[in-house]
Amino acid sequence: MTTERDPGTRIVLSWLREETHENAERVLLRVLDEVDTTPQRRSWWPAWRTSPMNTYAKLIAAAAAVLVVAAVGYQFLPRSGGIGGPPTIAPSPSPTLLAAGTFRAQGFEVVLDAAGGASGVTGSMIVTDRSRNFTVDLECTRTTDAGLIWIGGDVTESANWSDAPKGSRAAIVFKRGTPVQAVFVFQMAEPRSASCQAFFDDMIAIGGEPVGALVPIIGTVELGP
Amino acid sequence: MLRMRGVDTELVRRAKHGDREAFGLVAADLATRFLAVSRRILRDIDLAEDATQQALVAIWRDLPHLRDPARFDAWSYRLLVRACYAEGRRARQWSPNLRILPADEPSESRGLDAIIHRDQLETAFRRLSVDHRTVLVLHHYADIPAERIAQILDVPIGTVHSRLHHAMRAMRAALDADARPAAAEATR
Repeated sequence: MTTERDPGTRIVLSWLREETHENAERVLLRVLDEVDTTPQRRSWWPAWRTSPMNTYAKLIAAAAAVLVVAAVGYQFLPRSGGIGGPPTIAPSPSPTLLAAGTFRAQGFEVVLDAAGGASGVTGSMIVTDRSRNFTVDLECTRTTDAGLIWIGGDVTESANWSDAPKGSRAAIVFKRGTPVQAVFVFQMAEPRSASCQAFFDDMIAIGGEPVGALVPIIGTVELGP
Repeated sequence: MLRMRGVDTELVRRAKHGDREAFGLVAADLATRFLAVSRRILRDIDLAEDATQQALVAIWRDLPHLRDPARFDAWSYRLLVRACYAEGRRARQWSPNLRILPADEPSESRGLDAIIHRDQLETAFRRLSVDHRTVLVLHHYADIPAERIAQILDVPIGTVHSRLHHAMRAMRAALDADARPAAAEATR
């Protein structure tokens, strides 16, 4: 073990600690010049952990899927009516299905119910992970040239989710296929985009389309036309 | 000796969100320190300026990735060390004959022994690997504790102690002509 009492060590330390007078002004000016033309790197889809489903969870999911199919099938069974057949109810205009389902994306439970189209979206997305969750009031959608479907809006509730605080913007991006792939997108930097569509524009401008970040979902999501 | 002190966390937070003015203040705070540390590691003012510039620009570029501004100091030193490694490799590749670090006037007596010591120490230090130089400078010049250096370099603390021990032994051995083999050991 060396100690500063050792003469050799003392000489070495004295030499190491010798004062010199660096003038950092030149290098600082160069840095500030370079920074003027250097954009910051903003990763807006965090490196999520993926938690693979265990066998028990898969069985539950499979059983739930069977129940859903059974319930849907029941709705289409012919009903017996009185004389003259069942009463006719005038169809009310219903919003177009955009995306709906209960599934896992990037390891998190998602309950999604979105309807509408380019002119506007209604519905919500609830994302849960153990002790944290957030809810998005969905507002807008876009299908990009890369074929990705963006659905986003305002985070209206958030508990312990630092990437999606209340008042921020968030989206889920889908890619059709078997299985469907998805990724969450958060506006992690201020200022908040002026509108929901501007949020998509800003995210794509900063990081491009998140094609490389997409992961297969577990479960089912029904995507509209 | 240089002491590590924290940069204003609020400035870091603003710079993280793209505030160039705040970053300018952060950079001004770091530039002199970084230049002093990198100059001691690289023993060349031009390389040190390049390493400092590289590190500060990398800080600006990657700051949005830093989740906890309270960890800024260790994180920023890590970028500086990376830049020093890069400049060290470039120097070995393109410029094997580094210039000697010009010495300022020493405050103590400038006897013949002192001059000889300086030459021996300079030579011995240049023989050290950048890994060994880095821990010596961070610990004995920047006054950063070994635990913090382990975080900066992302190595076990035992490795930091080991590098410090071997580097100091090599430097002390340089003062004793009979102990040259020990100096060579730390350069491996």
